[in-house]
Amino acid sequence: MRRSIRTAFLLGTATLTVAACGGRTVDTSAPRAASSSITLAQADDPYFRTGQDILARIQAQQPNTNHAKNVILFVADGMGFATVTAARILEGQQRGVDGESNVLTFESFPYLAASKTYSSDAQVADSSPTAVAMVTGVKTRNAAMAVKHTVPVEDCQASLDNGAVTTIFEMAQAAGLATGVVSTARLTHATPGATHSHSPSRDWESDADMPAEALEMGCKDIARSMIEIPYGHGFDLALGGGRAYFLPETAADPEYEGKTGRRKDGRDLTVEWTDRHGAGSTYVWNKEQFDAINPATTGPVLGLFDMSHMQYDVDREKDAGGEPSLAEMTDKAIDILQAKAGDEGFILMVEGGRVDHALHAGNAARALTDAIAFDRAIKTAVDKVDLDETLIVVTADHGHTLTINGYPERGNPILGLAAWGGEPLLGDDGKPYTTLQFANGPGALKDAPRVDLTNVDTTDIDFVQPALVPLSSETHGGEDLGIYAIGPWAHLFQGTVEQNYIFHVMNHASKIGQRAGAMD
Amino acid sequence: MAGTTRRHLLLATTALGLVGVTRPGHAATRIKLRDIYGRGAAFSEEALALADRPVQIQGFMAPPLKPDASFFVLTKMPMAVCPFCDKEADWPQDIVLVRLRRQQDWVNFNLPILVTGTLSLGTEVDEETGFVSRVRLIDAAYERL
Repeated sequence: MRRSIRTAFLLGTATLTVAACGGRTVDTSAPRAASSSITLAQADDPYFRTGQDILARIQAQQPNTNHAKNVILFVADGMGFATVTAARILEGQQRGVDGESNVLTFESFPYLAASKTYSSDAQVADSSPTAVAMVTGVKTRNAAMAVKHTVPVEDCQASLDNGAVTTIFEMAQAAGLATGVVSTARLTHATPGATHSHSPSRDWESDADMPAEALEMGCKDIARSMIEIPYGHGFDLALGGGRAYFLPETAADPEYEGKTGRRKDGRDLTVEWTDRHGAGSTYVWNKEQFDAINPATTGPVLGLFDMSHMQYDVDREKDAGGEPSLAEMTDKAIDILQAKAGDEGFILMVEGGRVDHALHAGNAARALTDAIAFDRAIKTAVDKVDLDETLIVVTADHGHTLTINGYPERGNPILGLAAWGGEPLLGDDGKPYTTLQFANGPGALKDAPRVDLTNVDTTDIDFVQPALVPLSSETHGGEDLGIYAIGPWAHLFQGTVEQNYIFHVMNHASKIGQRAGAMD
Repeated sequence: MAGTTRRHLLLATTALGLVGVTRPGHAATRIKLRDIYGRGAAFSEEALALADRPVQIQGFMAPPLKPDASFFVLTKMPMAVCPFCDKEADWPQDIVLVRLRRQQDWVNFNLPILVTGTLSLGTEVDEETGFVSRVRLIDAAYERL
């Protein structure tokens, strides 16, 4: 029953040989006179024309083999394909245009590959081994930062015994490039933390989170690691959340009355940042201070805009101190890095860190609005940089269990009940259901019938989508993810690849490893 | 028929419970939990206007600290982890301490409930537990939605 198809192109004549089951061969190599002409009824159909336009665009694409002076890695934590699709539809519907055919900024990039996200020990990964894969070129264990896959989680001694793996950010710092990391999550969280931390546990975000024996052995918490990067002068900028992890427990938080830092070692890492980098360097914690930074003249910048994670994008306006958006942070980050980079170039990671958190909460509305904010940050970058010399890679670290289901009518609100002609579609239990649902999470009831959503506003920002398996926190998903790329050597992203391949393309395009003397 | 009667009795009991916390002439005004705060820790004008008055707030019951507690934490979205038990930095700001008028059965953390009680605003330390709260519903009762 094996079937093979072979194609060859000879002098403009297509030869198609088909060996079908039973061995019968049809040779179509000989030109044949048309017995009748066919008029394509669909030739003027807008869908047909769109398809032809895409064909022409892709045929015209030329690989860019320039040196990638700059590299920007955008990571939306947890943004699987279902989230991308739903965000695309919501973004269009919010603008009053057709959501289904809408195109997000990164979806217009010319090159796409599928990323396999399993870790060295898990079918479904968490955010630390996936970030490590992208920035070091190797997979490691779930819950581990930038250490070899042979290092057991939380084994401090094993991590210190030649267990660390070097990140492309550390190589860049050693090679003299400008470097930066931006996230709406805590800067000590798995994805931004993996750019520099070699902790055997992603949970060791401050010394207060570490076992005493690990501290005695000399393992570093993730916040401290960022301040003490031994390569070059470390980061030129780090913008995100997680202020409490950098402040001692004796220090009052500047934004939240009655709250303090969480460090037990008495160290104020925000002071150590400015001490290390000297005159011109700065630490900011609110929007006003952020806006006052002059990218052309500032020294290294540390911005910590919340005690823990920054606000979801829709909640920013209520933040006490005021927070910049991800797009605003990206804009300023690029300005600062370009001012610092000179001829050496820069590498920047930008994480939309809270798409993941909203999905864990089963709250699709915030996940999608944060995904849209992430896309705005990408548009900001695309508009600012020279794509002839800047490789931009957009991807996620892992998926979630979100699904887009039922047969809702075209244009139906993506956050609404699945409906056709204004009438909700019903399950076999006679109750309506939402288009977006989760396989598990807090939206599932234990041993109870489904909630009747007939009179519930499922588009409310706080609505928690229904789920099947009851879990207090919705889980990650293990499906493949998109890698969207534009700029030098972006064409190397094609097919289904391992997630750690992302590092190898970024490194090949920029020669960062070679320039650091770390690779041939 | 018997089942229908029992259901009617349960509904009547719930309704009676709610009537008990609503003072005559002061119908409970519904306010969304997210609308209690303005910017940062500042209360919204809407909340300030409702201070010390009967209100209704929809939300979810965070798992109570102990089975015989006469209070619980109302959260905007389902939250299985007790806000008082997690890292302080992770506490959501928009939570409400609910002090019950009388003991009621606990419900699962992800079942929507409607709480009726008197809105109390301002920082307060609970004498018994030492918990610090910013918003409370006192003399309260709740019903499942």
